[in-house]
Amino acid sequence: MTQVLKARSGIITEEMEAVAADENLDVEFIRQGIAEGRIVIPRNKKRKEFKYCGIGEGLRIKVNALIGTSSDRDDMEIEARKVAIAEEAGCDSFMDLSTGKDIDGMRKQSLSLAHVAVGSTMIYQAGIEAIEKYGSVVNMREEDIFEVVERQAAEGLDFMAIHCALNMDVIKRMQTVGRVTDVVSRGGAFLTGWMLHNQKENPLYEKFDRVLEILKAYDVTLSLGDAIRPGSIADSLDGAQLQGMIIQGELTRRAQEAGVQVMVEGPGHVPLNHVEATMRVQKRLCNNAPYYILGTLATDVTPGYDHISGAIGGALIGACGADFLCYLTPAEHLGLPTEEDVRTGVITTRMAAHIADITKGNKQAWARDLEMAKARVALNIDGQITAALYPEQLKASAATTTNDHVCVVCGTGCAAQVAAEYFGQPDDSMSNS
Amino acid sequence: MSLLTKALEGIITPEMDQVAAQENVSPEFIRQGVAAGRIVIPCNFHHKTIVPIGIGNGLRTKVSASIGLYGNNAVIDEEVKKIKTALTAGTDALMDLSVSGDIDTMRKETLNSASVPVGTLPVYQAIAEAGEKYGSSVKMDAEEMFEVIERHAADGVDFLALHCATTMDVVERAKKEGRIDPLVSYGGVHLIGWMIANQCENPLYEQYDRVLEIARKYNVTLSLADGMRPGCLADSLDGAQVQELVILGELVRRAREGGVQIMIKGPGHMPLDHVKATVTLQKSLCKGAPYFVFGPLLTDIAAGYDHINAAIGGAISAWAGAEFLCYVTPAEHIGVPSIDQVREGVIAARIAAHAGDLAKGMKEAHQWDLEMSMARKNLNWKRQLELALDPQRAKEIRKTRNSGESSACAMCGKYCAMEIVAKYLNTTKHSC
Repeated sequence: MTQVLKARSGIITEEMEAVAADENLDVEFIRQGIAEGRIVIPRNKKRKEFKYCGIGEGLRIKVNALIGTSSDRDDMEIEARKVAIAEEAGCDSFMDLSTGKDIDGMRKQSLSLAHVAVGSTMIYQAGIEAIEKYGSVVNMREEDIFEVVERQAAEGLDFMAIHCALNMDVIKRMQTVGRVTDVVSRGGAFLTGWMLHNQKENPLYEKFDRVLEILKAYDVTLSLGDAIRPGSIADSLDGAQLQGMIIQGELTRRAQEAGVQVMVEGPGHVPLNHVEATMRVQKRLCNNAPYYILGTLATDVTPGYDHISGAIGGALIGACGADFLCYLTPAEHLGLPTEEDVRTGVITTRMAAHIADITKGNKQAWARDLEMAKARVALNIDGQITAALYPEQLKASAATTTNDHVCVVCGTGCAAQVAAEYFGQPDDSMSNS
Repeated sequence: MSLLTKALEGIITPEMDQVAAQENVSPEFIRQGVAAGRIVIPCNFHHKTIVPIGIGNGLRTKVSASIGLYGNNAVIDEEVKKIKTALTAGTDALMDLSVSGDIDTMRKETLNSASVPVGTLPVYQAIAEAGEKYGSSVKMDAEEMFEVIERHAADGVDFLALHCATTMDVVERAKKEGRIDPLVSYGGVHLIGWMIANQCENPLYEQYDRVLEIARKYNVTLSLADGMRPGCLADSLDGAQVQELVILGELVRRAREGGVQIMIKGPGHMPLDHVKATVTLQKSLCKGAPYFVFGPLLTDIAAGYDHINAAIGGAISAWAGAEFLCYVTPAEHIGVPSIDQVREGVIAARIAAHAGDLAKGMKEAHQWDLEMSMARKNLNWKRQLELALDPQRAKEIRKTRNSGESSACAMCGKYCAMEIVAKYLNTTKHSC
């Protein structure tokens, strides 16, 4: 029985218990959320126990990191280190998006190293194997696609991004509306090329029940890929995107009915004034399934700083109801992230998630900020380090910063001290302007 | 005649013309905005090197970087380097917030190095000088405060940050409310301490007309500071903050009547869902005066990453209507920013400003993004790097995160999806 079927039968699982404890919530709340499809806990039944994360309504927003080799940067050792760094920086899960030589080997390595949920985008491997075997992604055989779904599921992936919601209608709509950047999803592009070349419907859409069957057998959480996400501010909320969302909604319901946990992937590049509408429409169309967001990037023009652009959009869309944020690193749009980029990406995205949690009134998040505020007022550096989003950074900065006390010029009766006494506070005159 | 008076009399000045050209709007739009107080153009009669900019409703969101001498080890040359870095990174304005050392020389250096508007916070210097003179800042004479304000104005400072609305009522309100962090603003804290020690009202409030007189004389724009800006999320929109904002509204009216351009400084720390309310309150109480926000920071716990924290808050504030963003650097809450951190701070604030401008539907902002996306579509790397908000950083990363000179990037390598799909859509090559 899958996690969701157990939830519907009223069974409380160890995963639900762990998530309830982590979130300081009643386990019945978790069970009910899973039963109704508003919460997922990705866990492949083949995987040994790990640090489970619940994703969905009423829970802390979670953060996903991306690692993986590519044909240009194919070094498994670096990717192993990235896994360790991403976990140390506090990611709740990661996806192995390898497209290098040994994709199977990489996946095994990732699964063996991980202490968190692990995901993949399966069509990369299917596409690359087709290129190797038949010379081009367009020659990929249908059977090969399902074989890769099965292979990856059997190995223990907890969630799989699968581009089932891309169909001919969506592609036609995109051609009609005339986008600036047509398809920016790599998996979506593989499939678009395949579909147009072969003039055939997407097998992952047409034979969606087969996908569900495989995922159900291993209790893999389906992450419905967003092949048509806007790749530029100008393309946000266009007809093609909406058409894709409608199809995602249709498939979300079918997955939920089949007893497969499902979450939905979303944009992309979105101006801030589109964020709330994007979130509302998606939650409505997809029956309140958890929403897994790339970004959202609030502008197109910040290569080198897209982690910041993504944090701006991510905090807002999180506040509007997104449940799961995929990180962006400073290398986005420019190349493959370094280890340091991975760290920066995870921490920045965690900040966005935390800001959104605060906005939604999450008690644990508020308590953390209050702890920091009080430590600041008390001039308690250790307390500040403990409460910090990334204590290591603050510890390092605190050690190297020579914080010259500026008030030497005030002599004895410093006005700031008078104010501090008035409010019954320690003198905090080092605060800025 | 001050710029505001001229605008009210229907005169379009060269400054208004320049701002209109920068913003691609009509000079009359600028004149009306200045006359109504929705736009300010900070430009002191004595700041000869300035290229004026406009701050306010309907204009591109601007950013300001802060530098200045702090503590015994501060060196003027280092701060001048920071000024140059901030200007290269694209700051629209500078504030010299020196609190110690040779403050007069630092200010002159800043004014000489800067083609952008320069702001200062004169109370810092008044406190420092009182400390030196009397051995105690609480012994400062109110007259000395006005003398320092006039000194800054006469030197050519374009906008002066002053805590005119931090009155005894507001201070008592903060105490009554049990603020978690009542001591946030450095200038505000010293002023409050002085008021308490001397048992007297804030002279900058009581003798506000004197402040206006100096501002009018040199055509200085007032940037009224908030002594009660929240220093943590839990204090946001409390009675003390709102009460001060009410008083700021009163002072905005009086400044306009006195022919003085004015903008209002704002928070600080606040949860994301307070941003819109805060900006709306300020706009209502201060009758559309430009809002100059510090961050805001949307969480208290991001020490080391507060520039990003502030970029999130700044973007949403700009969208909500704040027109001027004071940068926050990664050193915030930790120490004095290095040259690199100044650069990081300016860029992060510019990203926020631009994201806000996009959300407000500003045409030129959208055009910039559209051009970038077209360059991506065409895999035109040269153009992408030129169009980047920080071309230098984009180039560095492109160079160090890739191998070979492929038209794609190392993220996808030879499986650049955009090349595949372009073939089948019969369009040119794409990049993600």
